[in-house]
Amino acid sequence: MSIIKAEGIFKTYNETSVPVHALNGVDLEINNGEFMAIVGPSGCGKTTLLNITGGLDLPDKGKIFIDGTNLGGLSSKELIDFRLHNIGFVFQASNLIPVLTVKENIEFIMMLQNRPKAERDGKVEELLNAVGIIGKADYKPGQLSGGQQQRVAVARALATNPRYIIADEPTANLDSASTRELLDLMAEMNEKYGTTFVFATHDQRVMDRAKRIVTLEDGKITGDKTISK
Amino acid sequence: MNTIFKIAWRNIWRSKKRTLLTVSAVFLAFVLALFMRSMQFGSYDLMIRASVNGTGDLQLHKSGYWENKGINESFYYNGTLTDSLRRIKGVKTIIPNLQTYALISYGKQTKGVLIKGIDVQAENRQINLSGKIVRGQYLSSGDNGTIIGDRLAKFLKADIGDSLVIMGQGYQGASAYALVPVRGIFHMPSPEMNNSLMYMSLVTTQNMVNPYAPGLLTGLSIFLNKSSDLNEIRSKIEKAAGDEYETVTWRTILSDMLQTIKADNISGQIMLMILYIIAAFGIFSTELMMVMEKRKQYAVMVAVGLQKKKLVLVSVLETLMVSIVGIAAGLLLAVPVLEYLNISPIPLKGAMAEMYLQFNIAPALPFSMEPHIFISQISIILCLSLLSSLYPAYYLYKLNILKTFRS
Repeated sequence: MSIIKAEGIFKTYNETSVPVHALNGVDLEINNGEFMAIVGPSGCGKTTLLNITGGLDLPDKGKIFIDGTNLGGLSSKELIDFRLHNIGFVFQASNLIPVLTVKENIEFIMMLQNRPKAERDGKVEELLNAVGIIGKADYKPGQLSGGQQQRVAVARALATNPRYIIADEPTANLDSASTRELLDLMAEMNEKYGTTFVFATHDQRVMDRAKRIVTLEDGKITGDKTISK
Repeated sequence: MNTIFKIAWRNIWRSKKRTLLTVSAVFLAFVLALFMRSMQFGSYDLMIRASVNGTGDLQLHKSGYWENKGINESFYYNGTLTDSLRRIKGVKTIIPNLQTYALISYGKQTKGVLIKGIDVQAENRQINLSGKIVRGQYLSSGDNGTIIGDRLAKFLKADIGDSLVIMGQGYQGASAYALVPVRGIFHMPSPEMNNSLMYMSLVTTQNMVNPYAPGLLTGLSIFLNKSSDLNEIRSKIEKAAGDEYETVTWRTILSDMLQTIKADNISGQIMLMILYIIAAFGIFSTELMMVMEKRKQYAVMVAVGLQKKKLVLVSVLETLMVSIVGIAAGLLLAVPVLEYLNISPIPLKGAMAEMYLQFNIAPALPFSMEPHIFISQISIILCLSLLSSLYPAYYLYKLNILKTFRS
């Protein structure tokens, strides 16, 4: 059953004197529980496609549905609310809130959802255990390594049990060991919670772990391969 | 909401030095403003109290007197009325007086003056007239002499023991004449008073104005226990006195002085405005820098689901928090110091002290602790903080998260 459906997506950026056609008619369906990578050379439109499927950006033409909701029909306020309740995000640099502790960062989205404290505390403990940083709950992000920060980012993304997490180059700033650990963690979460993960990456280590690889070139899908492992 | 507060509070302390600098700017502006306003309002209050001490909190006249101020708008002393006014709760003292304008001559010199017929003892208790005598002596009860200003004496070339001729308008078309010996010469802080004012006993003045039926008054000066009861007591007095009489409060009597205070107050406000603009600019630049530095953090917060209005709230709270810390520090310093200065004003020395004494005012620099001084300064700072946070808040409201990620 598909969780995301992109139909005839076009996106052009006019921020420079020469328009950049980032996406040129992309059709894509992502199924529930997938562990998928969008790959391709720099400038091929990976991040744009990821942003559009994550509700961070809207297409100039075409439609994007998440769980049957047409994101183009939402106001910017509704779109923020939609992201809050449906999508988890892991960014290239962890982008945690530096003034909050690890625990508070994970709790942050649940607080925005007005979840009760007891529920938040239980979930934070579960996630800290799951991502292996239980002893660092009261640390500030600046006191953690890059790999640990990305683990916290994954925990934050999972905090509200989203059905779908997008991750833009999550391993870009990590060493091999941290990359392996992070990918193990996300694969485990994918297995354990059935959460759909979509990565934009050109990291071979991520591609090696993905169960489906969509290749983009010049804003078009040129390959879509499901890998049986 | 708690998290929004937490983020705002921690954000401002991420760059401690910069925040402390901004807090210092707010602190300095606030403390200076408090001292300036406290001293200004303390002085105004002192000036008003000293003047009201002479004029009374309110005066009772015959209806129409305040408009014309003529001797024909005088009235006869009415013991029943005065007694009923004295019985009104809150009335402390009532002093009768009779004022008229006349020409006075000595030798070849003649001049128009204001003659104040006073209850010699009561007036002295109220404004210490005897303390202003520089030559000769003060009047005694029922005295048929006069005391005049030193400049007037110089103009007339008159001295103690010389008799002055008074010619003026009496009651209802009669002429007023008198020959009064100079008992004393006074010096007041106001040159105008020294130049054209003379005091006589009430009885002597009444006899001069209407020798056939003495007892006229132009007004009763009424002093209250508490000035704050003025309006309430005024209506009681008006009710007791009836339509034949009118009352004027010290605000009307001292309207010229209040205008001067108002003008001085405006100049103080302009000084304050300059001070606050500098502080507000400090707050604005700090907040803008904070927003620009943290825009990526803010973009992530919006990306994961924080509504922009809450982000705007973070920014506004940051600005308010910086101001509140500055205000709190300012209050911690200013309140005890101002309270001390309010109880023990700074003593004045030399010419300044002499001038105060001549006005019958204690020679000390007074500081006011009126709550409105603190409330207004705190409100101004908080309003300026809100104004300073407008542009950063607008910037955040318009924040484009993807552009911010790319930047």
